[in-house]
Amino acid sequence: MKMLYNITYIEFKLFLRTFVNVFFSLVFPSMMLLIFGGIYGNEPSDMFQGHGTIDISVPAYIGMIIAVTGIMSLPLSVSGYRERKILKRLKATPINPFSILLSQILINFIMTVLGMVILFFVGKIVFELNFMGDFYDVSVAFILSTLSIFSIGFVIASFSPNMKFASAIANIVYFPMLFLTGATLPLEIMPELMVNISKVIPLTYAVELLKGVWIGKDLSEFSKEILVLCGILAVCTTISVKKFKWE
Amino acid sequence: MIIEVKDLVVEYKGVRVVDHVSFSVEEGEIFGMIGPNGAGKTTTIECIEGIRENYSGSIRVLGLNPQVDRKKLYNLIGVQLQETSYQDKIKVWEICKMFSSFYANPLPYESLLNDFGIYDKVNSYVSKLSGGQRQKLAIILALIANPKIIFLDELSTGLDPQARRSMWDLIKGLQKDGKTIYMTTHFMDEAEYLCNRIAIMDKGKVVAVDTVENLIKRFGLEETVVLKSDELNLDEIERIEGVTSLERKGSEVYVKGRETNLVHNILSYLSNNQIGYSDLKVIQPALEDVFLKITGKKSEGM
Repeated sequence: MKMLYNITYIEFKLFLRTFVNVFFSLVFPSMMLLIFGGIYGNEPSDMFQGHGTIDISVPAYIGMIIAVTGIMSLPLSVSGYRERKILKRLKATPINPFSILLSQILINFIMTVLGMVILFFVGKIVFELNFMGDFYDVSVAFILSTLSIFSIGFVIASFSPNMKFASAIANIVYFPMLFLTGATLPLEIMPELMVNISKVIPLTYAVELLKGVWIGKDLSEFSKEILVLCGILAVCTTISVKKFKWE
Repeated sequence: MIIEVKDLVVEYKGVRVVDHVSFSVEEGEIFGMIGPNGAGKTTTIECIEGIRENYSGSIRVLGLNPQVDRKKLYNLIGVQLQETSYQDKIKVWEICKMFSSFYANPLPYESLLNDFGIYDKVNSYVSKLSGGQRQKLAIILALIANPKIIFLDELSTGLDPQARRSMWDLIKGLQKDGKTIYMTTHFMDEAEYLCNRIAIMDKGKVVAVDTVENLIKRFGLEETVVLKSDELNLDEIERIEGVTSLERKGSEVYVKGRETNLVHNILSYLSNNQIGYSDLKVIQPALEDVFLKITGKKSEGM
């Protein structure tokens, strides 16, 4: 535990020293909220069945943060550590090699939570954000969504021979996730074709689930989303465990 | 014996990169492995260090099997890998502190940094260190465990001659502190200067393991006496005991031979016959010659 704590603590500091990471997980989502909130405000909107734009955007943007940490940050750092033989060097110490990977998951999880907290307060202070959900349900939805998307990130890390490759794949996966799942632009404004495309992108289910529980719906109304996210988590974890290479 | 390798075989993508290798390392010695690129040195050291898994044969390090007792083993050995880099934006003290937390009884890294003369870099980013400083850091990280054995894989590659020299002193110092050192290198002078025993590896096999002196003897390498003289009778020189061949290059005469008393015999002949000469020098066969003879290749370090 001491080892895990120490490596996580140091890696956390390193994360905070990397501008791209900090910007996209902590600053960018709040920036988006300020821009779109500035345009639409948080008045009840017909498009969102009477909910405010901000009240719907915040849980959607949480999906965006999960995509940044899970699809960009996590696989890039893991495959970079492999390419630069940092994993190999750490393997030649008494630390359990899985602690190294676990520390990466933990940091990105913590950053996601942090990004979410900042987003929440910006929404609350600037736009009088409403939270109508059950804390427990939202936590479950958030943790499941995060783990599920992170597991996709791990598959990318497992298959990437180097950081360049990981970066290319991550971008290919990340940008459709960003724009075609409701994470940034609401699906409500999209034509049917786009809505159909969104159905094959895992993050869509996370965004739907998060939005739903945020406005107070019950977890039980989202059994399809929960099932899909659990399925992704199971499949991707299995693939990662089988295919992951330390060097 | 502190390391014992028996019948080690490693195959990689259908190619046998390590081919029935057996040798052992004694406690307290500096053991060096030399060989051309691709000979299997790094593969062998990585099997012993426990970071490579697919091999057959048996390896015991301090009586432990690296595959089974990894946690115990890594508290007893220190490892420097060929071409490791470190995390971006990590500082020297941070990586030292992180490594310290991995070990049961770590040495204080501050004093190690001090011993190695890089304490002033404690707050620097690792990426800002020079090549020599980074290699020193690699050894410090290997030493934090207070290990009995230290593995150094091509430690001085890429260092300037001065940094290389200071690295040699550090390694000799580690041996004085009672540590066993297993190193690979492609610098013959480095191996000759540092190592008590040397294993020469070529095409996956260990071709010879011995002291430098014995290797030279064993491969029947000759000494050369070079001298300048205008009054030499080459036929008579050729009859001196131990002389095997003779060559004149301009004003210099090269006399080769294998006899222990070769130099003495030549000198007595010269003084007995009152022959004047100048610039006499003796060229001892070096590890480089053994290497060349065994592998048919010049070492890359030369």
